[in-house]
Amino acid sequence: MRKRSEDFPALLERLRPQCEEIIGRYEHSRSALLPLIHLFQEHEGYASAQAQNAVAEMLQLTPAVVESTVSFYTLFFRKPVGKYMLQVCRGLACSINGAEDIMAYFREKLGIGHLQTTDDGLFSYEEVECLAACDRATCMQVNLDFVYDLTPRMIDEMLDAMRAGTYAVVPMAQTDAPERTWKTVQDLQVARGGKSFGAIGQPNPNNGSGIDKDGVIMIDRILAQQPRFEGRTKERLANVEPSITSVLEHEDLQ
Amino acid sequence: MPVTKVLTAGIGEADLRDIDVYRKRGGYKQLERAFKTMKPADVLEAADKSGLRGRGGAGFPTGRKWSFLPSNDKPRYLVCNCDEAEPGTFKDHMLLEETPHLVLEGILLGAYGIGSHHAYIYIRGEFKRGAEIFNRTIEQARKAGLIGKNLFGTGYDLEVTVHRGAGAYICGEETALLNSLEGKRGEPRLKPPFPAVAGLYGMPTVVNNVETLAYLVPILEKGAEWFASVGTERSKGYKIISISGHVQKPGNYEVALGTPVRELIEIAGGLREGRKLMAIQPGGGSSACIFEEHLDLPYDYESLAKAGTMLGSGAMVVMDDTTDFVKAAHNMVRFFAHESCGQCTPCREGGDWLETVLHRLVEGRGVPSDIEMLRRVGHQITGINLCPLGDSIEPFLLSVLKRFPEQFEARVLKETVSA
Repeated sequence: MRKRSEDFPALLERLRPQCEEIIGRYEHSRSALLPLIHLFQEHEGYASAQAQNAVAEMLQLTPAVVESTVSFYTLFFRKPVGKYMLQVCRGLACSINGAEDIMAYFREKLGIGHLQTTDDGLFSYEEVECLAACDRATCMQVNLDFVYDLTPRMIDEMLDAMRAGTYAVVPMAQTDAPERTWKTVQDLQVARGGKSFGAIGQPNPNNGSGIDKDGVIMIDRILAQQPRFEGRTKERLANVEPSITSVLEHEDLQ
Repeated sequence: MPVTKVLTAGIGEADLRDIDVYRKRGGYKQLERAFKTMKPADVLEAADKSGLRGRGGAGFPTGRKWSFLPSNDKPRYLVCNCDEAEPGTFKDHMLLEETPHLVLEGILLGAYGIGSHHAYIYIRGEFKRGAEIFNRTIEQARKAGLIGKNLFGTGYDLEVTVHRGAGAYICGEETALLNSLEGKRGEPRLKPPFPAVAGLYGMPTVVNNVETLAYLVPILEKGAEWFASVGTERSKGYKIISISGHVQKPGNYEVALGTPVRELIEIAGGLREGRKLMAIQPGGGSSACIFEEHLDLPYDYESLAKAGTMLGSGAMVVMDDTTDFVKAAHNMVRFFAHESCGQCTPCREGGDWLETVLHRLVEGRGVPSDIEMLRRVGHQITGINLCPLGDSIEPFLLSVLKRFPEQFEARVLKETVSA
């Protein structure tokens, strides 16, 4: 992990031998782009512009080519994220087994929504597509480590342990303070197939979604209020105390 | 019990990540035998004769896929596709983490079979742990002299490289995967040329699924005839089926192709008490649903195709009467809209608009024309994109819309404001 005091050139010098080893694995150097970004992200917590430029130089590409490639992949964060990246599966098998309840519970407990980071920079939260662990629905990943068969109690214990610094999964490096979201406005538009959200700050009249002035997405507001799928998780939820309501059903994130 | 353990043998009983354990169980014997006593063409012939078809989704005969490689002196590559992200599928995830040496042996056999000296395995970015496990697997194999120069004293060099993706379903499409492996955006290429002619770095390349390659090991061990003797006329051998959703014992079950759907559900523990079966998505997120009347359908490529759906990756999601099919359809369409790479307009825009309309219906704010629009829009997306992702958007939606129209109609606003 790069210490806050360590500047980027020092990190680069430290990682250079490892970078060269990675480039040497491939017959064409450009193939090393993804592994190199993975490496820098591991040390910086995100794929910083400096790291992207360094990779461009190493692979003799233009920075634009690197950024274009990096922006294609959702596991590369181009802006800082929280120390714990919580990625909850919203695939069909999880959804029909109570993932919507789990997601609503997370949103309430964290006080944030999809693609957002808490103010203290500890948690980032994302609802992701099928994680290929449908037999253990509902599932999630914490910094890419799987957690299976989620229950609200597990979530409580997990978040408490993370706050106390005793959670089993190592926190991600954090070399810069995260903002409210790690997505750019362009990312969000691309994620919507390039279709306009309407002006930024204006909700989209079509689906009740939109992004606010910071580019923060406000979605699934209504979904959380609908009768939910019943499933195995639903049975587990039956015995649990706090009522499950979404933070987002109260108001927009203004 | 119709569950047969071929690839899944030993999982949960022994630590198959340990090369010594794997070897004690007969591991790497086929590799040694192939290198010492067989020609690459013999491996191809075994694959061809066994009737093995691609287990990733397309179901293309593996031997035939290999035979498309041109006979020239260009370097050729074998790429193992472990970018498992088809909704409902979790078999490669298990194979990678639980029996990585079997996967590696399959890759090495495949590489030898096509005459490749450098094989790659493309592992989904989310499988960070799986990639770590596989890197250790490779190191163990290297120490044992199974990877590297002059294997088994035959003068054959073979290298294996792990390449981790970074979160893109589309990279499971083979040309998108190759682009991603070349360090580019994971956008599918225009075909032809097919990868067999111009694949990785423009060289002849074969991309095979994890499960496909792993089956080469038992096929060489027990013979192509053994594999071809189970299953049906054109769907031969075994297949790992990932069963999830509203069943009591979701999991991966290895069965002979052609096992009736009803039996598969029973193997997975059946439905929950007092629940009624409503629909089954039989072949991953891209497949149309089958229903109660299809329970006796044999689970094989042809029977499912005849029923208007497909076997795909072998992922069965079972849905009972608690399922809200408008939400399920929205969920499925949202997946494809999210994962569309954006190159082809029909897929990019069509998926997105379908998602918008379905979102409106989920909220109960549909307009009367929405249902008809859902029926029509899908046809304008299918068949006119570079890759099959666009074709995958509508099958689930159309099948449940046809079966449960009342659920969709109930979400249309009753009162409309007259102008």
